[in-house]
Amino acid sequence: MIYFLYDGSFDGLLTAIYEAFYSPIPPTQIVTHDNFIPNLFSEERHITTDLEKSEKVYKAIKEKISSTALKNIYHAYLSELTQIEIWIYQYLKLGFKLGVRIDNRVSDEIVMKIHHAERKVSFENHRLKGLLRFQLLKNQVYYAPIEPDHNILSLLAPHFARRMADQNWLIHDLKRGLAAVYSLESSNTQKWSLFSLDKSLQIQFAEDEELFQDLWKTFFKTVSIEERTNLKLQKQHMPVRYWKYMVEKN
Amino acid sequence: MDLKQKLDILADAAKYDVSCSSSGSTRSNRGGVGNAAVSGICHSWSDDGRCVSLLKILFTNYCIYDCVYCINRASNDVQRATFTPEEVAKLTISFYRRNYIEGLFLSSAIIKNPDYTMEKLLQTVHLLRNVHNFNGYIHLKAIPGADPRLIYRTGLLVDRMSVNIELPSSEGLKKLAPQKDKQSILKPMGFIRTHIQGNQEERKMFRQAPTFVPAGQSTQLIVGATPEPDFQVLRLTESLYNNFSLKRVYYSAYVPVNTSSLLPVVAQPPLLREHRLYQADWLLRFYGFSANELLNERHPNFDLDFDPKEDWALRNLYHFPVEINKADYEMLLRVPGLGIKSALKIISARRETALDFDDLKKIGVILKRAIYFITCKGKYYGGLVFNEEFMRQRLGQSNRQLKWQQLPLFD
Ligand code: SF4
Repeated sequence: MIYFLYDGSFDGLLTAIYEAFYSPIPPTQIVTHDNFIPNLFSEERHITTDLEKSEKVYKAIKEKISSTALKNIYHAYLSELTQIEIWIYQYLKLGFKLGVRIDNRVSDEIVMKIHHAERKVSFENHRLKGLLRFQLLKNQVYYAPIEPDHNILSLLAPHFARRMADQNWLIHDLKRGLAAVYSLESSNTQKWSLFSLDKSLQIQFAEDEELFQDLWKTFFKTVSIEERTNLKLQKQHMPVRYWKYMVEKN
Repeated sequence: MDLKQKLDILADAAKYDVSCSSSGSTRSNRGGVGNAAVSGICHSWSDDGRCVSLLKILFTNYCIYDCVYCINRASNDVQRATFTPEEVAKLTISFYRRNYIEGLFLSSAIIKNPDYTMEKLLQTVHLLRNVHNFNGYIHLKAIPGADPRLIYRTGLLVDRMSVNIELPSSEGLKKLAPQKDKQSILKPMGFIRTHIQGNQEERKMFRQAPTFVPAGQSTQLIVGATPEPDFQVLRLTESLYNNFSLKRVYYSAYVPVNTSSLLPVVAQPPLLREHRLYQADWLLRFYGFSANELLNERHPNFDLDFDPKEDWALRNLYHFPVEINKADYEMLLRVPGLGIKSALKIISARRETALDFDDLKKIGVILKRAIYFITCKGKYYGGLVFNEEFMRQRLGQSNRQLKWQQLPLFD
């Protein structure tokens, strides 16, 4: 059993896939260094991320399969589901054979796995576009802590960059110790970037922050129609695991 | 009175308005804050399980009118409040920047007179758009009877505008909203439609022309306050879609807030009836059905045990069962239990290979109800024989088990 070990980055994964296509014995699993647990039969191969190789794979997917397939595997990668990497590899193998038609093969197990992971990620991304909450800090930065199931920070950031374009903001993935930071001062055309950011960040609210949180809570309480109370339905749409950072729910 | 008290009173007074949808507009951010997302985003769900996406408030609940069913009627003794345009703008912007909301849904009772009220609403959206650079979603209720020029100027600033019909017949209006009449409601609706269409033409020629109500207009009907049957409500809906090019019609189960000999006595708001109307509305807009197919004089109300599509199918069994590998898209849409997504999935999957029952399951088509109405490669799986009594019994059973409240009501 050959285990390809990569650094956890998307480029790392694409490099591993490049190597997999060219190696005489394909990998049994592709896993990150951190998730690897050696066993009696495992044989490891360390993959060093190589941007030239990953670029080649990236381009080939786009040209020989489709941009949808590229989006699918990126989202599947972000899902962080166990063993998703090897499914991505299988999916691409099939994709290079079938070309753009691969995504019509919806009853194929491999395609189903990838579509399933893709849907989970897209769904959580859409969900958090709504459920994420910013708090205005003393330094006039809008700060939003999140703990998503999947690694969706890089999908959320462009949405908020378009929407909250005239305010400084920071979205903090506390589960992964990552942050997307949008700065008006940034000289790049893309005003946001990803950083590692420690979980133990100390924050201090701006003066009006509590007032507006309080007003929002008032509104939230008032809009519910008592005769129609349906807490089960509420939880179904808005699972409790997301409540922690929602002003109206904690 | 402080802002919190006002918000409490004026959000409470607005909450029976059901339309929460914020979709259908794409407004891009031009250097300020906010944009409108096409697919609509829910920011929270209230304790009654409804999507919260807009800051839904009345500008004021002081009213000179006396509509019998309305909590804000002049003769009611309720706490009253009025926002200032600045207060509404500040609330909207501050909530928006914290990602609590998708935008503002502003309506109002009629204070002083229709023009005065409409002017205040115009001032508010002007502040938001032109002073605060707010590009998020705005849905505004036009005030019946207000000067068309005010309605026009407001229309240039908002995404969606609506005029509520409330009662589905002239008799109903006469009885319960004596100061309003059909004309004062239909006139602004026609006016808005004409300008939306004129504006679309204009925008084809000059991309720079300002947009007028880009997300279209909608209205709301109260069901259960007056005796109209579903057939009449649905025919009204159909003509509103066809003649006034409305984007949405919303239905609101009558919730008694006042007592009057003119009002019906209801133990429970007719929620299931409201739900059936939403389902039928959906069938009109996306599934190619017409009101006359779903209901008629002899069958004027929806069966509460079956959804409108099942009800139709059971009365038109000669169309069924349909072969899943042959039926065209329009017919697939008419199969109870099959939605647009499933129909599309079937069409694309059967291009690769003829589908049998297990294939359908694999591609994620839910067959619980469809099973009685289809064949796969000529085989019927709905029971030993294709039999109406049996189908009614099985469908009725599973419908009673199904908690209908869990179906998505609002998109
Ligand atoms: S005009 Fe509107 S707010 Fe005033 S009483 Fe009638 S329904 Fe209520």
